[in-house]
Amino acid sequence: MNALPKFLTGRLFLGALSIGAVLLAYTAVTSQPDNNPALLPPIPHIIGSFFTNLSAGTLLDALWASLYRILLGFFIGTSLAVVVGCLVGWYKTVEFLVDPLIEAIRPIPPLAYIPIIIIWFGIEEFSRVLLISIACFMVCVVNVIAGMKNVPQVYVDAASTMGASRFQVFRTVAIPAATPFIITGYRIALAAAWTTLVAAELIAAPSGLGFMLQEGRRYFLTDQVMMIIVIIGACAFIMDRTFRAIQKRLMIWSETRE
Amino acid sequence: MPEIVVDNLTHTFGKGGAEALTVLEGINLTFENGSFTSIVGTSGCGKSTLLKMMAGLFDPSDGEMRLDGEVISGTDRRRGMVFQQDAVFPWMTVAKNISYGPRLRGASNSEQREIEAKWTEMVGLKGFEDRWPRELSGGMRKRVDIGRVYANDPDVLLMDEPFGALDAQTKERMQTDLLEAWQQSRKTVIFVTHDLEEAIFLSDRVVVMSARPGRIQHIENVDLPRPRKDEMRLTDEFIQIKRRLWGMLDH
Repeated sequence: MNALPKFLTGRLFLGALSIGAVLLAYTAVTSQPDNNPALLPPIPHIIGSFFTNLSAGTLLDALWASLYRILLGFFIGTSLAVVVGCLVGWYKTVEFLVDPLIEAIRPIPPLAYIPIIIIWFGIEEFSRVLLISIACFMVCVVNVIAGMKNVPQVYVDAASTMGASRFQVFRTVAIPAATPFIITGYRIALAAAWTTLVAAELIAAPSGLGFMLQEGRRYFLTDQVMMIIVIIGACAFIMDRTFRAIQKRLMIWSETRE
Repeated sequence: MPEIVVDNLTHTFGKGGAEALTVLEGINLTFENGSFTSIVGTSGCGKSTLLKMMAGLFDPSDGEMRLDGEVISGTDRRRGMVFQQDAVFPWMTVAKNISYGPRLRGASNSEQREIEAKWTEMVGLKGFEDRWPRELSGGMRKRVDIGRVYANDPDVLLMDEPFGALDAQTKERMQTDLLEAWQQSRKTVIFVTHDLEEAIFLSDRVVVMSARPGRIQHIENVDLPRPRKDEMRLTDEFIQIKRRLWGMLDH
């Protein structure tokens, strides 16, 4: 291994290598004479679909519709999760009161709420944002609670013996000590938001990436389906990377490096 | 005058249950203002428990403790504590750790800067103000810890084996520096350790405790002159005290 030049064993090169290999294999399969492009569209078709939808404006419209739902649902869900999670994780009375409820609801997959949400609120924008909020809340709140419960006792004791009130300990010790958990909660919530979004849009939406997937299936536009899948992957990847950058920034004090 | 009195204190864990364990029994002690007392004993003698109760981290099951005649209950900035574990907040720089206590009470920015400058210098960390704790060695973090408690200006300093995790050289250096800081401020110090030499070197008085249940076995007044120098550890007088106390500990 030592004989290999350094860049050959680097992250960038190896990453490009594995992605390149998959693309190459896919191209090899799709360029077989008996390949049915309606089932396995060749890469140029997928790229073609991208540009067609881009110039027609349909892609950007769908992208904005989806991003709007994701960001709004994510914001509402995680904000609530941080408030509830902090209170449950820090105050025993709140924990005894609220934790059984959270534990009871937690195992239910958010998608199970789709029928009841449609019955109550109809196929509206509100319903979709609500569903994403629920999904984000449930995965995030568990992490926030865990973060609060894992605050090392010695930090709490140290702050108390320096005269900090219970609330001051909460604000100056518990919150920063729990930050790594909270940020992880945000990242998992983001992934949950994408999952839920696509499911919600597949079932009931007049717009969005999920809608375009559904449309592609209905009209047998396999290249469009493939293209949207790649777009979703790219968006989720970019958002997660952004989060990791924020995490690195906030966690500059931490020993564990991302 | 700030004086701590421990009055007929007994503590039992798991009271009432079948597993009830009495860790401290009938403890009577008085710590005079400005004195340096060490409490030694083998593990399980309840010395850490006693210290934590003095800090107000929990209440004794029987008996009481008073600071200036006032019964101790709950934590208070007047009783500062240095822990055996690393208690430096990793999310604050050295300077921010030092000024934590004053900041809690709304000290102005300029007051905070002043305190940070004074105590980083005092504990020998000048130039490290803006470092993160993760960038420091264990000994340096302990210095931050001690500086932070000092900067908070308590009346009594409770120290729970603060140097237990340090290597021998660092430990001796820290002991000398601690004595120097104590000499200047003359705060009442109660120092828990299982290291006899450390206890004798630092203290006016060494309290020896026996285990299960923890009782006071002996109180030794250490009359070695101050300021204490490292060489004293090797004098006959020092070694005699050490030998006597060593014989009393449960081995």
